[in-house]
Amino acid sequence: MLCPLWLWAQDDPTLTVSTKKQVMVGERFQVVFEANAEGKNFQAPSFEGFTVVGGPFTSSSSSFSMVNGSMSHTVRCTYTFALQAYQEGTFHVGSATLTVKGKKISSEPFDIKVIPDDGSHAVPSGGGSSSGQGQSQQNTSDPQVSGKDLFIRVIPSKKSVYVGEQVVLTYKLYTKVPVSSLSVERMPSYAGFWTKDITDNNGGSLRQTSEYINGIEYTAAEIQKIVVVPQRSGTLPIDPMIIECIAQIRTESNRQRSMDPFEAFFNDPFFNRNIANVKKELTSQTLNLEVKSLPENGKPASFAGAVGNFNFKSEIDKTELSTNEAFTLTLTVSGTGNVELLQMPTPVFPPDFEVYDPKITMNVNNNVNGLSGTKKAEYLVIPRRAGSFTVPAVEFSYFDPSKGAYQTLSSQPYEIKVEKGKGGDEGSSGGIYASNQEGIKYLGSDIRHIMTGNAHLKPMHTVFFGSAAYFVVLLVLLVLFVILLFVLKKREQLSKDTAANRNRKADKVARGRLKSAAQFLKAKDQDKFYVEMSQALWGYIADKLGIERSKLSMDTVNETMKAKNVPDELTQQFIDTLNSCEFARFAPGSAEAKMDDLYQRGIDVISKAEKVL
Amino acid sequence: MKRYTLLICLLAVMGWGRVYAQENSEEWFNQANAAYNAGNYESAMTLYEQILASEVESVPLYFNMGNTYYKMREYPMAIYYYEKALKLDPSNEEVQTNLAIANQAIVDEIEPVPQSFIVRGWQNARASLSGDQWAWCSIAAFALLLFALFLFLRSRRMGLRKLGFFAGLVFLLVFGLSVVFAMQLKQASENQNQAIIMSPTVTVKSTPNEISVDLFVLHEGTKVDILETNEGWSKIRIANGSVGWLQADFMRPF
Repeated sequence: MLCPLWLWAQDDPTLTVSTKKQVMVGERFQVVFEANAEGKNFQAPSFEGFTVVGGPFTSSSSSFSMVNGSMSHTVRCTYTFALQAYQEGTFHVGSATLTVKGKKISSEPFDIKVIPDDGSHAVPSGGGSSSGQGQSQQNTSDPQVSGKDLFIRVIPSKKSVYVGEQVVLTYKLYTKVPVSSLSVERMPSYAGFWTKDITDNNGGSLRQTSEYINGIEYTAAEIQKIVVVPQRSGTLPIDPMIIECIAQIRTESNRQRSMDPFEAFFNDPFFNRNIANVKKELTSQTLNLEVKSLPENGKPASFAGAVGNFNFKSEIDKTELSTNEAFTLTLTVSGTGNVELLQMPTPVFPPDFEVYDPKITMNVNNNVNGLSGTKKAEYLVIPRRAGSFTVPAVEFSYFDPSKGAYQTLSSQPYEIKVEKGKGGDEGSSGGIYASNQEGIKYLGSDIRHIMTGNAHLKPMHTVFFGSAAYFVVLLVLLVLFVILLFVLKKREQLSKDTAANRNRKADKVARGRLKSAAQFLKAKDQDKFYVEMSQALWGYIADKLGIERSKLSMDTVNETMKAKNVPDELTQQFIDTLNSCEFARFAPGSAEAKMDDLYQRGIDVISKAEKVL
Repeated sequence: MKRYTLLICLLAVMGWGRVYAQENSEEWFNQANAAYNAGNYESAMTLYEQILASEVESVPLYFNMGNTYYKMREYPMAIYYYEKALKLDPSNEEVQTNLAIANQAIVDEIEPVPQSFIVRGWQNARASLSGDQWAWCSIAAFALLLFALFLFLRSRRMGLRKLGFFAGLVFLLVFGLSVVFAMQLKQASENQNQAIIMSPTVTVKSTPNEISVDLFVLHEGTKVDILETNEGWSKIRIANGSVGWLQADFMRPF
């Protein structure tokens, strides 16, 4: 504690690495980075070509020591990685870095050579609980099982498949030594695959066969059988399966193994109790599956991802029924392929049918060649209206990988005759249809159809309003109106003129006639006198009142005079005079005095009328 | 008699010119309709375009072109032609229906500014007839006005004269309204003061300048009113009343 502080950092900080220079495929080993000072920010190199099974495990220790009175302080920091090699070759591992007191130190890069597995890297089972194990540890330093004696393999049924096509992967254990127990350490993740385990579990024991590989007999056992269905295209790797098993091997004590058959006989486990349980980890090879995408060319519209080899049929239980009675349409797809993922085709029913969700049943067989089976969709359908309907054919398409082409299967269409059901709500009780009404179902919407027929084309930008034609029409109307008014005015003027003339001249004409009547009076010519008098009176009143000669009568005169507000007395006088005149005219033989009187009355009434009219 | 002869000659000349220009077009129109019915929208469109190139137009032509573009899923063009058809005949129910359907296929949904019921009533009344129909309506109203005036001036009976007076007032009002409506519709069809956006996405600016502030984004098929135009930029207003500047190339006025 008394010594100077500078001694503490006597050494320059270093980062050293220690590991094996040569490993076998599948072997687990450690890489240890060691620093002699405390640092931070440790950055590991990328261990390309290896799997990091564990780590980094960090540990640090510091110690003080007093040697010859001088104290030294040692710090030790380790970063340990557990790696596993899975590929042969020589791999370069870069340097790790660590920051110590603001200074970056780095380790030396190094190479690791990975050699093929010869089985010598079996991990001895720890603990030594079994007697055999204990014995083996006494006798030999490291009993080993060779990779040639015990290994697993994965055998794909195909190496190049289409998306959706099933592949059977068989994991087999080959062994020449007895194996007491097996446990799956790690299953592959099967990224990009749909999987189904179809291992034939034969009552817990593995089926064993004997197979020859390169002329050597092995006991082969199927550990696992898996159907994988790739879901996307490309090269899809399948990670190795890792299995831990305990192999029972004879330990040869201090002897070398000999090929002497006699000795081999006595070295049989039965005779030889020197049996070691050796725990061994087995790794299958990494598998790369080439997955081809399904061809776009010729893909049917009804294709929904089915790959394999299928049959398709449809069944209907009845085609003639009455309303509200149910029928069942069954679609069946059977064959080899991924039946579980299969999407059933959907039939199209007429809109007036009530369709329930289909009941889907599946029957899948796992056999050596993969999955096969039957999938059924049962549609329960109830027609609600009477009539003749068609359920169109249903198409089912699949991709046949063996032919490399799409296949389309079609069911037959069904004609369904629906009659009005008896009873029910169709109204056998007589005309209760109210419950039967429903709104119109719209099946789709679209734009209205084009206008056909006459196009009614006209030159562009021709607006009738404000055009010459428009003004011409208006002008014509106006001109016609003005002309009409003008013509009417003129005609009125004309007729007005004649009436005024007659009025003005009436007195004159009457007086002329009266004068000639006076002459007849003197000549005592009765007939001519009365004619002249009658004409004088009638003519006067007609001219004066503007009555046409044809319409002239006592009544019209009376009416017209009343309309013109002539005093009743005068009207009566005039009518009387006219009456006397007419009467005398057709009743001859009257006296002269009567003629004279009539003449005087005529003059009198005309003068009076002249004043009023 | 002379003036009737003149009028008949005038009308005949106008009519003959129209008939002569249309003979081919009617033929093409029928062919195009047949192609449309057969689903050959491209060839139908070629024929319709050919008719349009001969400088003629009509509601059925624009309507059918709109339908063809709709079937070809070119909704902005479909809307453009439906709008053109509506300009010729604002009250056509077929065109209105299809325009409404086409407008559902575009991106922008704009809530229109509510308008006072007077403005709405005025617009609805104006839209009830086409421009030409309003012109004929004004002529009919004018004729009736003259008739009422005649009654008023010439009738001897008081009742008829009164009737003539009030009927005349009504017809004068009808005449005035139809003239105003016809005039407005004529102006609308002559000044191309509306447009449809044709570019998929456009940004409306605050001034007629690229570097000015972005106001809002419009998408193809939206109808805008053009308020003024200035050096390749148009001041536009959309249905909700927002106003901004947009490059005139991005839209198609009608």
